[in-house]
Amino acid sequence: MAKLSLPLSGLAEDVLESIGGEADELQLVTFSIGEQYGVPISQVQEIIRIGNITKVPNSLPYMEGVINLRGKVLPVLNLRKRLKLPEKDISQESRIVVVEAGTKVIGLLVDAVSQVIKVSPDVVERAPEEVLEVDTDYITGVCKLKNRLVILIDLERLIRRENIEIAGGEGNGVA
Amino acid sequence: MDYNELINDYLDDANGHLNAFDGALLSLEKSGYSREVIQNLLGTLHTLKGNSGMMGFDSLKGYIHTLEELLKKVVDNEVDLNRVMDPLFDSANVIRNVLQEIGKERMVITDLAEKTKDIDEFLEGSDSGSKEQEMELASYLGTKTDTIKVDFKRLDDLLNLVGELVIFKTRLNQIGERTRAEITTKALGNELDSALELMGKTVSGLQEGIMKARMLPVRHVFHKFPRMVRDLSKAMGKEVSLLYDGEDTEIDKTVIDALEEPLLHMIRNAVDHGIEHPEKRVTEGKSREGRITLSASQESNYVIIKVKDDGRGIDFEKIRELAVKRGLITEETLFDKDSALSLIFSYGFTTREEATDVSGRGVGLDVVSRNIVRLNGYVDLEGSPGKGTTFIIKLPLSLAIIPALMVEAEGEVYAIPMSAVDESLKAREEDIHLVNNREVIRFREMVLPVVRLNDFFGLNAARQKKFYLVIVGKADKRLAVAVDRLRGQQDIVIKPLDDTLGKSYGIAGASVLGDGRIVLIVDIMSIYKKREVTRNG
Repeated sequence: MAKLSLPLSGLAEDVLESIGGEADELQLVTFSIGEQYGVPISQVQEIIRIGNITKVPNSLPYMEGVINLRGKVLPVLNLRKRLKLPEKDISQESRIVVVEAGTKVIGLLVDAVSQVIKVSPDVVERAPEEVLEVDTDYITGVCKLKNRLVILIDLERLIRRENIEIAGGEGNGVA
Repeated sequence: MDYNELINDYLDDANGHLNAFDGALLSLEKSGYSREVIQNLLGTLHTLKGNSGMMGFDSLKGYIHTLEELLKKVVDNEVDLNRVMDPLFDSANVIRNVLQEIGKERMVITDLAEKTKDIDEFLEGSDSGSKEQEMELASYLGTKTDTIKVDFKRLDDLLNLVGELVIFKTRLNQIGERTRAEITTKALGNELDSALELMGKTVSGLQEGIMKARMLPVRHVFHKFPRMVRDLSKAMGKEVSLLYDGEDTEIDKTVIDALEEPLLHMIRNAVDHGIEHPEKRVTEGKSREGRITLSASQESNYVIIKVKDDGRGIDFEKIRELAVKRGLITEETLFDKDSALSLIFSYGFTTREEATDVSGRGVGLDVVSRNIVRLNGYVDLEGSPGKGTTFIIKLPLSLAIIPALMVEAEGEVYAIPMSAVDESLKAREEDIHLVNNREVIRFREMVLPVVRLNDFFGLNAARQKKFYLVIVGKADKRLAVAVDRLRGQQDIVIKPLDDTLGKSYGIAGASVLGDGRIVLIVDIMSIYKKREVTRNG
């Protein structure tokens, strides 16, 4: 496993460039929200600092709002709230990880971005049954590294869940 | 489309095919026999033959047919390609000349029978050699075309760019205003002003130009329905004719596309619920044949689409009874036209006891309302029992850029589409009265309900002593939206909100301002609906 710190630009493309890559290795962008989480680098567009976030009334509770990403309106999901973890104030370290989840592009609000790691698929284990509750099927596995764990997230499931909630959720108030 | 237009279209097309013909011949000459090239060439000629036949240029059609025969012989190895190259090159020029004639005279003058015979003779093998076709140099250029085909996506990209430009213009104007105060030389100030003004004009011109390029006459969607009306009315034993008015009104293609579904439901609704059976119509002194009129007109930056039928109209009393029967409201509930309308446009409401194949399931009009709201439009209904019904849709001419009133509530800026805004005024807390425990305000002999944007969006705001009221809606559907401040009117570029956010009820979309901030666009329709629910529920 190679450890690499993020380049100054913080851009995923630059990270990719500096790493190169071997076909059978998993490259993960890891970030912390209490625990370490990771998503495949191929799904990460960029990592940005927290700017102005516009709150959207009547949106899902864990949606932080929208930001202006070079003229595009990008929804931002508060990963702590989404994973039902205790809330934490935005700090200097906080970042928005811009990811592609299926056809959608969204921002994930995280406490801090840690590093990009390369792991061999062998160290990825299926998440233990006991952590897989009804609403946690977006956890696809756990990377067991020497001194820590990285939890792998399936972004599409993270989003698809929401759609189910929308469909079955609060009525829109029409008689 | 008149004949001249058709001919122009034909020529545009034909010249394209002719160029392909030339291209294929040149490639054959250079690289020798290629089955693929000849197959393509045959396809090109076949299309050209078909089009020419359709336009009534029979001699040209016959001529091209002979060329096809010639080429088929080459494919079947009956004739050597090299032998036919010269006659083929000649024939391309013959066609070129004929197309020029058509462009000038609108008809074929050249005696093509003669030329056809030449080729036939060549096929028989009795030809003495090709006769060089005399060509004017200029005719190699073909006829000039005034239309080009453009992928709509390109126009979309252009409009997006113009949208950004509009934002930057606004920003530059804001900076200009601030700078103006600090400029001490009068001449420089004037120069800044005139530069900003000129740029503003150019940007507006550009915006208008791009929007025009994207427009299509509304007939593109209107003309999709005659067959449906015929089949539906036949199936129900009704007689209905579909009429048009203002079908040349031009609207953005995206609006045209988005209109299809709502129109479908409204027309279906008119045939099924509106128009009565012929016998009933006659007893009521109406013509046997019912009429549905689709009309379109433009009012400043909006287009008004109406679907009008001369059928039985909407019986508001019946709707009230049904709503009471189904427990949607109680006998005591105040019921006016507003409430009836919002019921009609809501999901699952139908006046039918049983659903038919065509309608009655209560879906349809709710689709109409939802789709129109998504387009930042506004749907209304007029009519009285026995006199027919008219659906009125008001839409912005463009989906992308709309004028909006910028308002402030609890420090956030929101945009209210001008399509909904009637006027705005200053108000104080003491102007607001309580009637039935609901806030209202007197406005020109009318009592209008007040909706505070802060409350509507669940923002906890301290009550301001002074605030502003934006009067939205029209006629009997008016209400006053209370906001903290007004921030002026501005063109905004609409960006849809992603559905990962959830319902975001009350928000129609977002827009990026010149300073990079995002404003949310208020969905006025949802304010009405919310009001209905709280009142009825």
